[in-house]
Amino acid sequence: MQVELDRIVSEALASFAQAGDSPRLEQDKARFLGKTGSLTELLKTLGKLEPSARKEAGAAINAAKSLIEGALDARRQAIADEALQKRLAQETIDVSLPGRGRGQGGIHPVVRTQQRVEAIFRSIGFDIADGPEIETDWYNFTALNNPENHPARSMQDTFYIDGCDSDGKPLLLRTHTSPMQVRHARTHRPPIKVIAPGRTYRVDSDATHSPMFNQVEGLWIDEDISFAHLKGVYTNFLQTFFETDELKVRFRPSYFPFTEPSAEVDMAFDSGPLKGRWLEISGAGQVHPAVIRNFGLDPERYIGFAFGSGLERLTMLRYGIGDLRLFFENDLRFLQQFQY
Amino acid sequence: MQFSESWLRSFVDPALDSEALAHLLTMSGLEVEEREPVAPPFTGVVVAKVLAVVPHPNADRLRLCTVDAGGAAPLSIVCGAPNVREGMVVPCATVGASLPGGLKIKRAAVRNVDSEGMLCSARELGLSEDAAGLMDLPAVLVPGTPFREAFDLDDMKLVIKLTPNRADCLSLHGLAREVSALTGCAVTLPSCAPVPAAIEDRLPVSIDPAAHDLCGRFSGRVIRGADARAATPDWIKQRLERAGQRPISALVDISNYVMLELGQPSHVFDLDRIRNGRLGVRWARTGEKAALLNDATIDLAPDFGVITDGDEPEAIAGIMGGGRTAVSLDTRNVYVESAFWWPAAIAGRARRLNFTTEAAHRFERGVDFSRTVDCLERITSLILAVCGGAAGPIDDQVLALPARAPVRLRAARCNRVIGMAFDRESIGRTFDRLGFQWTATAGSDGDVFTVIPPAFRFDLAIEEDLIEEVVRIHGYDDLPAIPPASVAWMRVLPETRRSADAVRAALAGRDYFEALNFGFVDPRWEADFAAAGTDAPAPIALVNPIASQLAVMRSTLIGGLIANVQHNVNRRQPRVRLFELGRVFRRDPAVADGPLSVAGIDQPMRLAAIAHGDVDPEQWGVKPRPVDFYDIKADLEAILAPRVARFEQAPHPALHPGRSARVILDGQAIGWIGELHPRWQQRYELPAATAVFEIDWMAVASRALPSAAEVSKFPPVRRDLAFVVERDMPARALVDSVMADLPPFVEGFEVFDSYAGAGIESGKKSLAFRVLLQDTRKTLTDVEVDSSIARLVEIIATRHDGRLRQ
Repeated sequence: MQVELDRIVSEALASFAQAGDSPRLEQDKARFLGKTGSLTELLKTLGKLEPSARKEAGAAINAAKSLIEGALDARRQAIADEALQKRLAQETIDVSLPGRGRGQGGIHPVVRTQQRVEAIFRSIGFDIADGPEIETDWYNFTALNNPENHPARSMQDTFYIDGCDSDGKPLLLRTHTSPMQVRHARTHRPPIKVIAPGRTYRVDSDATHSPMFNQVEGLWIDEDISFAHLKGVYTNFLQTFFETDELKVRFRPSYFPFTEPSAEVDMAFDSGPLKGRWLEISGAGQVHPAVIRNFGLDPERYIGFAFGSGLERLTMLRYGIGDLRLFFENDLRFLQQFQY
Repeated sequence: MQFSESWLRSFVDPALDSEALAHLLTMSGLEVEEREPVAPPFTGVVVAKVLAVVPHPNADRLRLCTVDAGGAAPLSIVCGAPNVREGMVVPCATVGASLPGGLKIKRAAVRNVDSEGMLCSARELGLSEDAAGLMDLPAVLVPGTPFREAFDLDDMKLVIKLTPNRADCLSLHGLAREVSALTGCAVTLPSCAPVPAAIEDRLPVSIDPAAHDLCGRFSGRVIRGADARAATPDWIKQRLERAGQRPISALVDISNYVMLELGQPSHVFDLDRIRNGRLGVRWARTGEKAALLNDATIDLAPDFGVITDGDEPEAIAGIMGGGRTAVSLDTRNVYVESAFWWPAAIAGRARRLNFTTEAAHRFERGVDFSRTVDCLERITSLILAVCGGAAGPIDDQVLALPARAPVRLRAARCNRVIGMAFDRESIGRTFDRLGFQWTATAGSDGDVFTVIPPAFRFDLAIEEDLIEEVVRIHGYDDLPAIPPASVAWMRVLPETRRSADAVRAALAGRDYFEALNFGFVDPRWEADFAAAGTDAPAPIALVNPIASQLAVMRSTLIGGLIANVQHNVNRRQPRVRLFELGRVFRRDPAVADGPLSVAGIDQPMRLAAIAHGDVDPEQWGVKPRPVDFYDIKADLEAILAPRVARFEQAPHPALHPGRSARVILDGQAIGWIGELHPRWQQRYELPAATAVFEIDWMAVASRALPSAAEVSKFPPVRRDLAFVVERDMPARALVDSVMADLPPFVEGFEVFDSYAGAGIESGKKSLAFRVLLQDTRKTLTDVEVDSSIARLVEIIATRHDGRLRQ
């Protein structure tokens, strides 16, 4: 009997292995395990055996059966795997084709700079302020210690608009973001820590001047904010903005009606195409006592600094942009380089 | 302020090379903007004297010259210049010389005659464009003298960008004083020794007492018998030229020279052309005119000071002389005036006349009032030396001079403002170097200095002015960079405020690029896209625009964005999507002056976006489809989310009348959305569909704080219903009716299809809605759902005559 069983098992294994698909495999299964299958037939003969031999033969048949069933399952799985592999191979795509749908836009590089400047100053507790672009003479000039007829007024060529303010003075387009110093300081109490980015306008248009440009104003007023603090904050700012501690910063005496002492801030990179060249980056200084008074504060008690920097200039240095005019043409070939 | 380094070094000559001197000036606040050699480099050129000139044997136009170039033997040089003559002193490039432009001088045969060098024109030496002939040099020069040495050509021209506060540096004397303060090196001044009167002549000058705030001091004298045709000495001419001034005539040149030298503007009148034989000084009267020496006739306002001939204005005080009394080459007798005009009396006047003069530039910033007579003496001695003549006595009328109020500096305050410690000694040393008169006393809070500002400084009125001088002379390089310590208050935007950054990021995420446009625009855009001047008020105009297409303030961002699309379309971009966040401007009498507002002008921030071309970028897997109203509406809705806006059909000048809507948020109109009007699409040459929106920034900037509702554990029931309604019935109206009278359990009622055409009678359309029903406490029964749906159908039927489509 064992010989017979061995024959059946080896026959079953051989025929399963040859079955190429599952219908054929199921047919083969019937040949061995079906109602009239060879193993089933053999099982039927058990009753004719001696009870003592029956037990032994039954165990042998069951062992053969489980061998055949194991082989059957394995083959079923193999056939299923094969079919899946075939399907997967058919479903393979070209993963190098671009993704579908809309693209990704971007933020204007000057605004990107503005956001970075805001983030840097926010990290040391500065507020962000914004205000009108059509300004009054008082906020743009007089409050900043730059009265009418003052020679310093010719430092900035002003756009005037048709119309007058409540003092009867012609309205103008702010020539700098400094009026925001005054507006903010008049409505807040020290410590005043604020930056005011925004659009500014001057009658000037050539390769290096745009009639509209963006500035950021900074102001820190408290009881002990010194010129040395200005140098500390501005140096820290530039090194943070350009992400290098190797950047050199120097202060150079200058003049603005609204600060004293005043400084032009120059910076120099330690590497790159502009390495070692002093680049003007900001006008700054200790807020003039007359301006502090116009804030509604006592200049004996409160001192502090202000600075104004061109956002276009920072942007050009940060991203290596050579032409100011690119900023306002809004050419996609330029803007697309600043995907967000 | 332009000048030559050698002139400055004639006053003060520190042991610094040219570059170090320029750096020193820059770092003291006198920014050296330009520094360049006065002559291009060349070598081997000497002064030479032409001893003999004979015709060239083989050429008509050439001459053979025998030249003494300082060598042992005369040189033989062929020359083609028309002006060469015997006895002439000229520059000579000797054999081996190298000239600008790379020309090397070699011994050569010119038409078979040897030439041992080249006689030069000014152009050949790169000194000017004058190529008409050889440079005709002064006969006194010794042959063989190196040419560069003879004319001081190794000099540098410096240009300083002076800040308006430093009028004291508008002269060589002033610059020298500054260099001296910085280096400790002494200043040598030119002599201003009095020139005694040789004649008795005086010119009466009457100064109107009412003009005490115009003229603080008036000094002058007569000089008779001066020869106006005398040649200005070369050294004066050279210094003037290197200071950027064109020599004119001896009298004018001397006046200008002394102004540059000492900082005092002066004026030379032709004495014989002063009518009435006298001068007056007063404020102008309304309606008066002045005929100036630049041939312009100016209408004077009463705040202009004038010098009169006794009756009528002759010159504008401190700004420009008159045409009639200007000196000419025929002038013999002059009156030289050297005055102090109050800065406030001059400031801004020239600018109002749209010109500036050296005199006005100095007087409005402040001129040393103590030296009018010294400068007059200096001018006199130069005129007598150059033009001859005899000087009369000086009349010096002093009316009102600036009070030099003492200015106090507390060392403690100084150190607090600067953030570094200066002691009594270092502050005192700085003041000494600056030539200040000062005293110091010990106060309760440290040393207190009292400074009398010198007459040449007009920028020292308050303590901060002195503090600046202390740190400036010490040098900003030593200023420490100290991070301040501050109280650590937390500050962050309220959660219900959305930052501009977040909204920008959201728009960038929806494939828009941010644009930045000018605040002033083409008036045509305003007319086209805002109906400015027709249905809307005229835009705010600029008084002084730089160009006619930048002449008015924008009241909408749409014009700029359309121009940007045009720009890109012209550069073959088929699809352009841009947004801008910026201010617009319109007159509004309701706006009052406020912390952030200017009366009469509304200038809100607005957000606008434009989409041109296909919805998606051209790609392999998506069928191209032109952008339309609903695409940009989805973008706007996404930007506004979680707030939900309403869209009401309404016309807008920029938009297609059937495809434009007013955007309403919480009952407030916040902006517009639509497809560009076909008329503008054609006029602005936009080849593809274009849709825009523009809304108030404030509407986007605020949002509600989320307040969470319970989420049901039971599954929702969905029913789809389609209604046939009038074709012009807005879908939103149906939603509103259902929302206003919500049947039980209805949680959502949203349109998912709109259809008109076959199967629907004409004039009608079918709107399909998805109805979501839900109870948080139990699973709904069919009876409950059917009852709610029946109620909903009834609402649509009664309110909108809507019939359920089977």
